[in-house]
Amino acid sequence: MPLAGDTDVTAIRAMERHHMTGDPPPDPVERFDEVFDAYFAEIHRYAAKRLGPDAAADVAAQTFLEAFRQRRRYDPIRASVRTWLYGIATRVAGKHQRAETRALRAHARVGPGRGADEHTDRVDSRVSAQGLRGELAGAIAALPRGQRDVLLLVALADLSHEEVAAALGISYGTVGSRLNRARTKLRKALGGTNPMLTLEEQHG
Amino acid sequence: MDEVRMVRDFYPEPGPPTAREIARAKALLSEPPRRTLLRLRWGLGGGLVAVGAATAVAIALAGGNTTGGGTTPAPPGRVNLDARAVLAAAEKAEQQPTGNYWHIDVVQGQSYIMRPSTGTYAITAAADETFNWSGAKPGMGEAYYGRDLPAHPLTKQDAALWRKAGSPSSFRVWSNDHYYTYPAKATKWSASGPNVGIDPHGGGDYMGKSVKDLQNLPTDPAKLAAMFLSETEMDKALGRRPGRKLSPEMEQRLRQAAPKLKIQKVAGILSGPVQPKARAGLMRALAAQPGIHAIGHDTDPLGRRGIALASDDSGATATGEYGAPKAEQGTYRWRVVIVFDEHTGAVLSRQDELTQPGGPYSEMKPGFVIEYQAYRSTGWTDAKPTPSAELPSFG
Repeated sequence: MPLAGDTDVTAIRAMERHHMTGDPPPDPVERFDEVFDAYFAEIHRYAAKRLGPDAAADVAAQTFLEAFRQRRRYDPIRASVRTWLYGIATRVAGKHQRAETRALRAHARVGPGRGADEHTDRVDSRVSAQGLRGELAGAIAALPRGQRDVLLLVALADLSHEEVAAALGISYGTVGSRLNRARTKLRKALGGTNPMLTLEEQHG
Repeated sequence: MDEVRMVRDFYPEPGPPTAREIARAKALLSEPPRRTLLRLRWGLGGGLVAVGAATAVAIALAGGNTTGGGTTPAPPGRVNLDARAVLAAAEKAEQQPTGNYWHIDVVQGQSYIMRPSTGTYAITAAADETFNWSGAKPGMGEAYYGRDLPAHPLTKQDAALWRKAGSPSSFRVWSNDHYYTYPAKATKWSASGPNVGIDPHGGGDYMGKSVKDLQNLPTDPAKLAAMFLSETEMDKALGRRPGRKLSPEMEQRLRQAAPKLKIQKVAGILSGPVQPKARAGLMRALAAQPGIHAIGHDTDPLGRRGIALASDDSGATATGEYGAPKAEQGTYRWRVVIVFDEHTGAVLSRQDELTQPGGPYSEMKPGFVIEYQAYRSTGWTDAKPTPSAELPSFG
């Protein structure tokens, strides 16, 4: 067993190898320990954002267990290790979909409700931000699972369209259309009149 | 501000995982060698040990439970006669010496559908073989070997259609949520890596139970059923907390899962070093469970004919949610089947079979094996066993 400090060094080295120098990432079959060290915190972060800290530990652990079991089927031509892990994490998180939706809806109810009660000039900006956040939460909650997965892999995991396609096993075109639909729904939910948004849409 | 950025900003930055969470997740990874092996471990009924004892049981199973419409019905009363024969045989078999090392050789695979214009056929892919031996006592050692097996046409008919399609040497198939290409090539046995290895100081237990405990299991079917197949045990296996109220839909799903789970569990236990009398008792206990039916003869994916029990069937639906092509979507029905060797009572395989074609399997016939775990060999040896270099022969 390495000493506590060594683990961090290994993780950093592994990260550096494939993020900085372009060297191949650890091979899941031979070096699964390195895969774990390099990506556990990142996958945990993604899970925590989507499902909160309690479920995150379980989802992250389950993701690596699944990855470990499937490691012989990992195909380096199809996706990077990181992308592959996000795909698994998204499927594992999918089992908590109801909890995720519930939490988002609760957020949607609390956000604007409180804002309306405390309407003063002093808190105005905070309130409108809260209201916005509430509406956004409600809109994300209302997205079908496929669209939500694509949106959150792009927004939270910073995956490119190609990477999302590989992670979820869907076509590049499907990623684009799901993301477009998700963005349209969010825009509608938020009022949809901001010209910046219309402008951005051209590049989407 | 664009929507993606808004979403990104909406989610607050969470705290990092705690050291304990990391340690726990890591610990899970060091278990799979054993966990995986337990599926393997719980392989076959030991050759010599079980000879005779379970034979009569297996035959009794065919006639003992007629609710499933088995193809080899037996006159009433046969069960009791067989039961006596079992006990007599088991008492003799009980005197048989055991050995030093228990081994389990398991082949597992999943069926996929190829749809070339020359005709649809099924292949087995994602196939691998695992070989494990473990000493009878702690300190005698244990070892795990694994290898990938070549993807191949499932049956002779499938092989004919595969040749018609030009005998391709790799197969691109839809797997859950992506395409994957499986080669018609095996890998060598490996005993190094995270999931395999040799522990010279291990041994003495199977599936978290000591060899001694397994050899001292009760022989009474009722006691064995209470131990392994009770509602409490099933709830535990299904992750259901006692006293927790579930939706009627979930209740229904758990009810449907129970007989399937019972078969898996029994297949697992019977693949370990269990005494013949307990083995016979467990087979009888399984046959008497609600939702379990004798179905007469069946053949496993290694082409071995035996006598079988099956669970009630249930429906499954593959949706297009993760981008599955049209041909892979739709509803079919399936059941779990356990096949026993008639002559030794050993478990030959646990296999999921199609009962009502539909969806991805709309062109397959009932009895089509969707997924399986076949016990190529299990039993005691005096010397440390080694895995066979020869590839298993399929159907």
